[in-house]
Amino acid sequence: MIFELSKNGDPLFSRIHPLLAGLVHAGMEDPWEHYPEGSTRLLPPPGKEEELLEDWRDHVQPGLRRHFDSERAIVVADIAGMKQGKGRSPLWSLEIPNKHREAWLTTLNALRLALACEHCFTEEELSHKSSPDLSTGRGLALMQVNFYAFMQECLIQTLEQDRNIGE
Amino acid sequence: MARSGILESPEVSLSEALDHPWLVVVHNDPVNLMSYVSMVFRRLFGWSRERAEQHMMEVHTKGRSVVWSGGKEQAELYVQQLHEFLLLATLEKSSG
Repeated sequence: MIFELSKNGDPLFSRIHPLLAGLVHAGMEDPWEHYPEGSTRLLPPPGKEEELLEDWRDHVQPGLRRHFDSERAIVVADIAGMKQGKGRSPLWSLEIPNKHREAWLTTLNALRLALACEHCFTEEELSHKSSPDLSTGRGLALMQVNFYAFMQECLIQTLEQDRNIGE
Repeated sequence: MARSGILESPEVSLSEALDHPWLVVVHNDPVNLMSYVSMVFRRLFGWSRERAEQHMMEVHTKGRSVVWSGGKEQAELYVQQLHEFLLLATLEKSSG
């Protein structure tokens, strides 16, 4: 998989192997549906005061949930537009419009957090200090978390470049 | 980026807010990328890269960093915005 900017100046992941394309497609998953325990991390408590917790549950968390859902809808549409090479080149490509980068960062982050929480990954595992066992669902989930981190880093890099140009 | 879910909170006088400022604390988590946390700090608080990285490193090494202090209503808004970015943020009353 190669990361570059397209002719339009948008982030472009090209020559994506079908194996990794499968992970990109998994980015369409709704964390609340697929990772019910892990998704609790997406709406953390704002503190300890009971009154604050109640306010948060009633007034803030529904809005946050709607925000995450709408960002994911943008990502789902981009993934649905992924293109696959024909014939002997079954590699995929994904172009992300610049204005969708925030939605991608949020959605990938939500999935990484939900997966990490669901599988109780340790800091050591997440910092590549131990090798994942790829024969297990847990090991594959860690690979997924790390793959999304790579995509996030690529997108952050372009956002930072834009910011540096703007300063 | 959409901002939604405005909290209703009792009005706090300026002197009360100054006497008992609320702290916005960001806590460490092993998943959020360091570059992402710095980017969020720069964007939300308008900080320089150096200041953002300093607070990010404080979160990473000490487990938490106070990123803002002041009145409760604004503190709640910052916590809400940090949650939109999926950072672990809480509101704490200053003990000082």
